Amino acid sequence: MARVELNIDLNRVEGDLEIGLSVEDGVVVEARTVGTMFRGFEQIMVGRAPRDAMVVAPRICGICSTSHLFAAVLALEHAWGVAVPPNASRIRNLCLLTEAIQSDIRQTFLFFAPDFCQDRYHGHPQFAELMGAFEPFRGSVYKETLDVTRKLVRIIAEFGGQWPHSSYMLPGGVTCPPDVRRLMACGAALDAAQTWYETRVIGASTDEWLAVDSADALFAWLEQPAHAASAWGVLSRFIRSLDLHRRGAGTPHMLSFGTGCDPDRWGPPFDAHLLASGFFDGDSGQVVGLDQAQINEHVRHSWYRPYPGGRHPSQGETVPDYRPGGDRYTWAKAPRYADKVVQTGPLAELLIAGDALIRDLFAHEGSNAWLRQFARLRRIGVELALAQRMLQELAEHLGEPHFLAPAADAERDGQGYGMVMAARGALGHWISIRDGVIEKYQIITPTSWNASPRDADGQPGHWEQSLVGLKVADQDDTAELGHVIRSHDPCLVCAVHFLDSGRRQVFSPSL
Amino acid sequence: MRHVIFFGNALHGDDGFGPVVYHRLGRLDLPADVRLFEAGTCGLNALALFEGCDEAIVVDALAPGNHPGRVIQPAARTLALDAALAGHDAGVGHLLAALAALGVPPPHIIAAEAERVQPFSHVLSAAMTRAVDAAVALLCRRLGIDHA
Repeated sequence: MARVELNIDLNRVEGDLEIGLSVEDGVVVEARTVGTMFRGFEQIMVGRAPRDAMVVAPRICGICSTSHLFAAVLALEHAWGVAVPPNASRIRNLCLLTEAIQSDIRQTFLFFAPDFCQDRYHGHPQFAELMGAFEPFRGSVYKETLDVTRKLVRIIAEFGGQWPHSSYMLPGGVTCPPDVRRLMACGAALDAAQTWYETRVIGASTDEWLAVDSADALFAWLEQPAHAASAWGVLSRFIRSLDLHRRGAGTPHMLSFGTGCDPDRWGPPFDAHLLASGFFDGDSGQVVGLDQAQINEHVRHSWYRPYPGGRHPSQGETVPDYRPGGDRYTWAKAPRYADKVVQTGPLAELLIAGDALIRDLFAHEGSNAWLRQFARLRRIGVELALAQRMLQELAEHLGEPHFLAPAADAERDGQGYGMVMAARGALGHWISIRDGVIEKYQIITPTSWNASPRDADGQPGHWEQSLVGLKVADQDDTAELGHVIRSHDPCLVCAVHFLDSGRRQVFSPSL
Repeated sequence: MRHVIFFGNALHGDDGFGPVVYHRLGRLDLPADVRLFEAGTCGLNALALFEGCDEAIVVDALAPGNHPGRVIQPAARTLALDAALAGHDAGVGHLLAALAALGVPPPHIIAAEAERVQPFSHVLSAAMTRAVDAAVALLCRRLGIDHA
């Protein structure tokens, strides 16, 4: 059977992923996401001292290491019943928001937008405008993005000593106090990013931008010259002209673990966030409260030691069992919420938090590739406002503690979990401590939710669903698929393969 | 201030060239204005390491070719975007292009051609081990380090 490997250039971020497609009469009829790399971080944790998680977990990812550190420390604090002072939550939030802002800016202008700077769009009336802004290493917005984002992460380095892979959160708080010099340095970095976002990306103040609260108001806003000429105005007009607002729906169900921790209200039952957590039921159209007991993971189509159905991560395991050639096809597990396939990310985060504009756009056009990218762009404004709030609150509470030492007997055996919204969506760590060491550690990353394989009931994952129905005019140029995949912000290197043997192709992972 | 920035994955055979040179150099008495950074598999995340210095030197492995262990000092502009070994992803090639786009003076590059890149191996090939000696000597001369 012939297999055509397509050179869709998606290899600009970490990880390894292939997507196998079955195409019938030029339309994708089936898709399978194939995680080709076994990470094994859960096994690295087993048998180690619980506090080692704060050194190991940030190494899971070079893009969202702060969120892994945050989840790891929350899991330990939950297991040990350790309280944190408000200033610790403020510093943690500030760093998490900073990481998400830089990730959202880079994803939009270094990864997503440059995909449109290719010859196939040469005849488009906006092509010259697009190249001027987003051409890799030459476009004005592309170059400004490099500069803005490298300076922004200095905020995390102020408290963590470095970024990425820093270990400055620990049970009871953080390692550095919020002194005046640090706050001034952070304020300058944040202000610079916000000024750039306002002048170059949206063409208005953040407050004006966040006040836009309906689809009609947004499209009228985008018609105004200053907004139409902004980076987002240019990009949005172009990608809607490609009909990306009608493509790539995926699952209707969404999941958010909530944004950061509310500094003044954080504590049992650990559900007070800056933006609310929840589950959006795509069938009923209602948001319901998050219940982490509803989460389970399936391995029916994954290369792990088999078990029936799904298991809650506290009872989960990650035992590799590589058996190529059968109907197991990936190193990714299939997490489900209430046995439903969910998507997570900025769209889910803002929709569940009640952002009026996102809810209205979703009501008008449903889930789609344009809306996912728009929500990411919108979220930058939300994150900037929240980060400014954290800085302001730190300045108002400067002399208060950043760390409360846990009681001497706090480090006991038990179970805990830490759940945060990372840049790419819902991230959870589950820890079990026995005889003073880590007995079990399970991690569900945002991309695990989005890029999951089929589960024990045969339900395809969110990405797999989002590709079905897409037209493929030319198997040598599948940019349209690439745009949809990129809208999910994959934390994975991604190559797309066609399974090509005539009218109906049959899937067989290329491993 | 002079920054020497070492790239590579120490667990991928000859891709560990940079980290091995880093550890060898770190054991020597360095001039006060020299700082060493092990950047691992960072790509764009390493941009900050090129700030606050008058000169930057990049040490990395090159993809296998016809001359395993050969140490070269290519100009940054001659390296392709994808010159970095697979696994670096948005890698050193992109990083060098980003530095140029930002107007940062190009770093001096010391690179050695890998013989084999083997996952889950922390052992360098014989050719790459010889390249480590050559690179350490080269760096010592350039940085003014007494290398007995």
